[in-house]
Amino acid sequence: MKTKILISTVLLVLSIGAAVVAGAKTGGKDNDKDVATSTPTTNHAAQDDPLRLEGERAYHANCGRCHMAPPKFSPRMMGTIVRHMRVRATITDQEMRSILHYMSQ
Amino acid sequence: MPKFSFVRKAGFAAIFALCSLLSVAAQAQDDAGQDVNAKPVPILTGATFYSTKVTGGVMQNSPWLVPVLLVPVGDKWLVEARADYYPTFTTDLNDPEEHYPATNEYNLQYATIDYIANRYVTLVAGRFLTPFGMFNERLAPYWIRPLQGAPLTNSISSNTGLGGMLRGSFPAGTQNVNLNYAFYFSSNNTHHLLATNRATGGRIGFFFPKHRFEIGTSFQQLLQGDRSHNVGLHAEWQPEKLPVTLRSEYAHSSGTRGTAYWIESAYRLSQVPYMRRLELVGRGQQVLADPKLTAAQVKQLGTLGRDTNEGDCGLNYYIGRDVRASASYGRQFALNKDANLWILALTYRFITPLAPTGGAQ
Repeated sequence: MKTKILISTVLLVLSIGAAVVAGAKTGGKDNDKDVATSTPTTNHAAQDDPLRLEGERAYHANCGRCHMAPPKFSPRMMGTIVRHMRVRATITDQEMRSILHYMSQ
Repeated sequence: MPKFSFVRKAGFAAIFALCSLLSVAAQAQDDAGQDVNAKPVPILTGATFYSTKVTGGVMQNSPWLVPVLLVPVGDKWLVEARADYYPTFTTDLNDPEEHYPATNEYNLQYATIDYIANRYVTLVAGRFLTPFGMFNERLAPYWIRPLQGAPLTNSISSNTGLGGMLRGSFPAGTQNVNLNYAFYFSSNNTHHLLATNRATGGRIGFFFPKHRFEIGTSFQQLLQGDRSHNVGLHAEWQPEKLPVTLRSEYAHSSGTRGTAYWIESAYRLSQVPYMRRLELVGRGQQVLADPKLTAAQVKQLGTLGRDTNEGDCGLNYYIGRDVRASASYGRQFALNKDANLWILALTYRFITPLAPTGGAQ
């Protein structure tokens, strides 16, 4: 019985993975449109900012691993939040700076 | 007890409302501030939530308050603390005549002073969460964890320490790999609220940001009691093009706590119309208990004292950025101890500055 349940659990995980792959093929590019996964919006001038692009990449790679996108806060609040996350989530110094820049746009 | 329960619940409803008002007030300061070098301000954040948990026919209702205080000092210092308070109201569904006294629990999860020495090293002193695996430090907050029930590996290692820690993260010779590390020493503390073990340990991880993949290992050596040592492995993968997260942890203790592992998958239905805010979660885990345990040790260790298999599945619905409703069901198989695990929870995440911010966006 235990073995059956363990196998069932593994199958559940695998089936979710299969569903994910199937879902991604049909429309994975609009992942960020809902409120919980949306990312901060910026103006067009900021789109060309290399540091902003680096911050966006670092933001998705690091912050999105554990939690959903937060709303935008003032730079003074973001300064505290990224310092906290630098320690808590062990992000690098460069990533902290680029994420702060990105989230302050 | 009914009156006591009502008063407690009413009190938490008031706290919940107050936190909501504070958060709304803070976010109402809508000006455009763009200064990245602006001086950071102290922040009060955290969560309130209400959970109903049924384990083997015993129902527990708990309103929680988990505040987190962040106080930056200068350019390199940060004081941070997280605590929790939760009364628990217990009812045995199999024997409604059985009355359990309500309990109040409060804990200081961590309170540290952090000093960012340079880009490679941060010094941490105080009461801290031990860096063992990835759940304890990163995923344990109830507003983050995909399933409200903690994995069984979390009970194998000592989860808090009192002392000092060195930690940091930096590119390992290339931008494609970040090395993160944490090494600590903890002293013995017997205070009933702040109890910690004399121990030392650490964690090393390699994170591949382009692939969003991390793998790491942890160890912990107890320097008291049975002087057991614990080792752990963890891995996490979040494919860039898929709204899925795969995580796994393994932990082994040379003492009485045996071996355990879990694997978890969380999938956001972000491509499905009308279901974009829904997340499906599945987790399987297994405990391999130490076969040499005595009957008394088995009773003391609980789940870790007997071979256990557990499968959990759950749903998370993000009502907004700050509010999440969760439901999960799990089936635990242990010798003569099979049990159903049901959890319902509503979580509200709050954040508010404790000083003028000079405008928010």
